Amino acid sequence: MDAAERELLTVAVRDALAGAPGALDEIGWREMLAAEPRAAIDIVFTALGAANSAEPVLDDVVASALGIEPRPDLAVFLPPFGAWELSNSGLATARVATATELLIGATTVPISAVAVTPVRGIDPDAGFHSVRVEGVVSPSDAWDSAVALGRRALAHQIAGASRAMLDLARTHALERVQFGRPIARFQAVRHRLAEALVAIEALEAAVAAAGDDPNPSTAALAKALAGQTARSVAAHCQQVLAGIGFTTDHPFHTFMKRTMVLDGIFGSSDAIVLDIGHGLLATRKVPTLIDL
Amino acid sequence: MHIAEFRTELHAWLDAHHDELEPQYAPPGTLDEHIAQMQRVKSILFDAGWMRYGWPERVGGLGGSPMLRTELGAALAARDLADPGLFSLIEVLAPTLIDYAPPEVAAEVVPLLLSGAELWCQGFSEPGTGSDLSALGCRAVPDGDAATAAMWIINGQKAWTSLAQYSDRCVLLTRTGDSESRHRGITAFLVDMDTPGITVAPLEMINGEREFAEVFFDDVAVPAERMLGELHGGWSVAMSILPYERSSCFWQRIAYLYRRLERLVEVAPDDDRTAEVIGNAYLQLHAVRARSRATQHRLAAGETLGAETSIDKVLVANAEQTTYDAVRRILPGVVAMDDNADADGWRIEYLYSRAATIYGGTAEVQRNIIARRLLDLGTDD
Repeated sequence: MDAAERELLTVAVRDALAGAPGALDEIGWREMLAAEPRAAIDIVFTALGAANSAEPVLDDVVASALGIEPRPDLAVFLPPFGAWELSNSGLATARVATATELLIGATTVPISAVAVTPVRGIDPDAGFHSVRVEGVVSPSDAWDSAVALGRRALAHQIAGASRAMLDLARTHALERVQFGRPIARFQAVRHRLAEALVAIEALEAAVAAAGDDPNPSTAALAKALAGQTARSVAAHCQQVLAGIGFTTDHPFHTFMKRTMVLDGIFGSSDAIVLDIGHGLLATRKVPTLIDL
Repeated sequence: MHIAEFRTELHAWLDAHHDELEPQYAPPGTLDEHIAQMQRVKSILFDAGWMRYGWPERVGGLGGSPMLRTELGAALAARDLADPGLFSLIEVLAPTLIDYAPPEVAAEVVPLLLSGAELWCQGFSEPGTGSDLSALGCRAVPDGDAATAAMWIINGQKAWTSLAQYSDRCVLLTRTGDSESRHRGITAFLVDMDTPGITVAPLEMINGEREFAEVFFDDVAVPAERMLGELHGGWSVAMSILPYERSSCFWQRIAYLYRRLERLVEVAPDDDRTAEVIGNAYLQLHAVRARSRATQHRLAAGETLGAETSIDKVLVANAEQTTYDAVRRILPGVVAMDDNADADGWRIEYLYSRAATIYGGTAEVQRNIIARRLLDLGTDD
């Protein structure tokens, strides 16, 4: 896909997300995912993050990685918050409310066979549900690939949300006048915004690397960095936004809360960092993973 | 040569010549020993051709992408064969000569640098000119009319000049305009360090090494053909270094930091706290490696690198300090108290890492650039 095609698709996805729920279906999201998975995931999830959209398309990504044809009435059983292994209780996206079947590892069961409860949490609009299933949850051979692809998609989404937070803070800093000047002229404010940009650019590079060299390690690192980045960007931007950013009149809080939720899907940054560290200590090797 | 093919062949060759290349001194070694090792390795690699890839043929190179020489520097750092901070100085010196020296001067001296026959230094900073480089005052005046003078006479002082006491030549920035001319009145010269009137006084760093020095110029006469670039064109000479410093040098440094983290992992206890500290350092290294790879591919594709490399600079400095913070947190007694060669090595490196947010443009200057140029926040005055 060349730069012009990407730009066209990016605009189409953004417009679709600004419209009614389900509009991604109308522009052929699942066909894009099948034909150009890398670009489709990058563009759609970045746009989801930037728009703070809860459109439930993570199900399609995970299903495709498990080798199952994605369809709008198929929801996917996700691990519990903070974890990446399946157990009897877990999560599902908003799709579970209308789906007819739930994909559990490699097995599909009717929705009627599972207990589904909406989750309010810090961000009720994120649309997550808690799901409880009975019996043995058998893992799929492709589960590691599904975790990796899900992590990469979520890292794109968190990067999109992080950039949205920075855009809000930057606009505020240029418009807000105190002591007779825009606060963007104060070095203390400028350096916070600069730090936020550094973190976001590093995250975008790591997410791109996870696409260039797709494997569980690069995806884990991208997802771990996403959680850290969102935390740091939210802290800097909230401080710059100050009073107005502490109200629900301003959209900042929606991005901050959404990234807190997304950090826990397929493992939080803290849990992944710990896991990676144990992996390095077990092998006593520090692989560079990516080359020029 | 394709880069992956080059990498494979290079590593096979380095494996085969390991005994010949490996340091001959007891670790951690002195700066004198590190420099002798680097020059010896450069000489062997130059004779075998590896040191010539990625450099133009007119200065003794074999051509090819500059990424080939980045691969070489990274391989040497990862194998502990040459210190990347010393080795990658080539990247901030040779391109200046290639781009700005008269062709016959470049053809004569660049092979001497590449082959390890010579060492050079970079005379930019001064006691009153750290972050604010364009305020430099070391003065060069023509002996006669500026357009026709055969010699230029240099007076003044440089500071924090790395390896000055070891160097055969210096790429020197001088003031040739009036004192208010800022970046419009600077001219670069290539100065032979054995010219009468040059005095070098090494400074001791907090880690006990004497890597940099004060350099005094007292009526130092330099031939006009040693001017690099145009009269008053020194600022663009200085700025032309940035793309190499912020791509190849960083990649080599990152390779070295991976190896350092691996040395820590080889001896660290296996518990949750250690895993968290190590995992986090690894994450920062991966992030800057991903960023640096993208930067080098942009450079190789012909893009002009600019203010966005300030992001690379902040990331590499943070990653370096995070790596050595991990060393100190996991081996606190080793860094602070132990008296053995291993502890000496960690201590020297830990203390050196404190400068990562200072040299090459402080972290604060980078953030000012990011705010002004990348975030477009306007001026801050």
